[in-house]
Amino acid sequence: MIEEPYRWVEAIANRREYIETQLAAGSPIAAVGYRDGILFVTLGRARQKIFEIYDRIAMGAIGHPGDIERLRLAAIELASTEGFTRSAADVSLRRLAHYSLSPVMKAAFEQVYGPPYLARLLFAEIGSSPKEDLFLRLDYDGAIAADGLTAQPRQRFAVLGGTRQSAELMEKFLQKEHVTDAVLPDAVNIALDAWSVGRMAMGENGTKEIPGRDVLRKHRGEQLANTAIEAAVLERDSKSAIRYRILADEEVRSGLQK
Amino acid sequence: MDKPPLVLDPNFSGASEDFPAVLRRKGLLQIAPEPTAAIGSHSFVPTESTTILAFKFAGGVLVAGDRRATAGNTVVFDRADKVLEIDRHSIMAIAGVPATAWEMARVLEHSFQYFRRTQLQEMSVDGKVRALSKLLRDNFGFVMQGVGVVVPIFATYDWNSKPEARLYFYDAMGAQFEVTDYAATGSGSPAVRGILYYKNSWGDKKLKELNEDEAIAIALRALDTAAEADTSTGGVDRGGKIFPLIKIVSRDGITTLPEAKIAGVFKQSVA
Repeated sequence: MIEEPYRWVEAIANRREYIETQLAAGSPIAAVGYRDGILFVTLGRARQKIFEIYDRIAMGAIGHPGDIERLRLAAIELASTEGFTRSAADVSLRRLAHYSLSPVMKAAFEQVYGPPYLARLLFAEIGSSPKEDLFLRLDYDGAIAADGLTAQPRQRFAVLGGTRQSAELMEKFLQKEHVTDAVLPDAVNIALDAWSVGRMAMGENGTKEIPGRDVLRKHRGEQLANTAIEAAVLERDSKSAIRYRILADEEVRSGLQK
Repeated sequence: MDKPPLVLDPNFSGASEDFPAVLRRKGLLQIAPEPTAAIGSHSFVPTESTTILAFKFAGGVLVAGDRRATAGNTVVFDRADKVLEIDRHSIMAIAGVPATAWEMARVLEHSFQYFRRTQLQEMSVDGKVRALSKLLRDNFGFVMQGVGVVVPIFATYDWNSKPEARLYFYDAMGAQFEVTDYAATGSGSPAVRGILYYKNSWGDKKLKELNEDEAIAIALRALDTAAEADTSTGGVDRGGKIFPLIKIVSRDGITTLPEAKIAGVFKQSVA
């Protein structure tokens, strides 16, 4: 029984450790701003990890498929009803994350008798100009990390990793390499490099420093040889209100650098 | 979030609820009363609007509608849009009460997108056609009360096994009829059907063989003829330079014809 505050804190700490272990094997996801929009990239063997949420919002996720699915459906339902009752312009990622998803995930995480959400989510919302783009990461405990919500200078990218080490190294890499006005093929290359950095940093024996270019590209080539690329874009100047477009594997591979 | 959207789903589908059901659960979609006999006195005159047509031609399906909205004998509006884009390849054109029709179009548009986003696949053409049918059936209570009749045309492009344009018309209860050549509904439709039948049977070319300019000319002539005898149909307003709205569904999606283009064909072949 959990009677004292101390026990609760201990239970939460155990739960956190358990969830971190469960998420540790997740294939990283990179979302980078480029000249004409925002690009999501990951590599995966088993299942889809990048999704369309609404006209201008996309989501990447790692975690348990059942939990990702519940959160994904909740996000789509909320965005769709808001877009229906008011307008597509009133659907906002900031509100979706802060007022709906985060409280639910926090509550599930802290109610130690119920199951938490084994999921870590990465959202991006495309605005009418790069200044209005929003990147937002939502963790299993409801914690939010955003790029574009405050007056802070923008990075215009965000990453999702199974482990803290993996995510931090990807961010470090992108801070150095990311170019905000790159064309799509260049953005794909940088995002795939970032993914490789994140992949190499996974596990206990993972790299702790950004690997050299040769090592990185060798690893990337090996991974690409037997894994499908999953990529999607949110396009700024699309004729349609729906900005989300899935990039086919061949379309992505055609622009790859050696 | 008032209720988790997926608790235990016996159908193995996140969307055992379709989007209208989600809206009803949240109290966001008005539910029509049970169909009963019409209310005796029709003191309330709803805004209505009429004459839409669609036919297949060489470049896909052309859908056209006049711009007039009326309430009884009063012209309410002369720039109403009755040809509505539902998704990249689907158009719903409406005759009847615009308030109900626009709401229906909105529900339909969101339903298709909701399905694609939740189920990670495009809804089939049959599914889309059926979705509109269900909305019409759900609305029938209002129709019987004399306040919400909608009789739409639905045009879309089917990407499946045999890629081709598809065209349907509906009755107010929701029955759908697939047509091979043309469809027209609204108060001015008898004249339009006459013209399209005549043209298709004994014209120089079948409707399906017309090029874009020829198709536009036929659509304009048909709407002008309908407006000649029907006060609810705007036809072409020569003084105000208000032209019908014409959209084309083809393999590449939907094209809305610019007014200048329609005006050009009108000047050359109709006026």
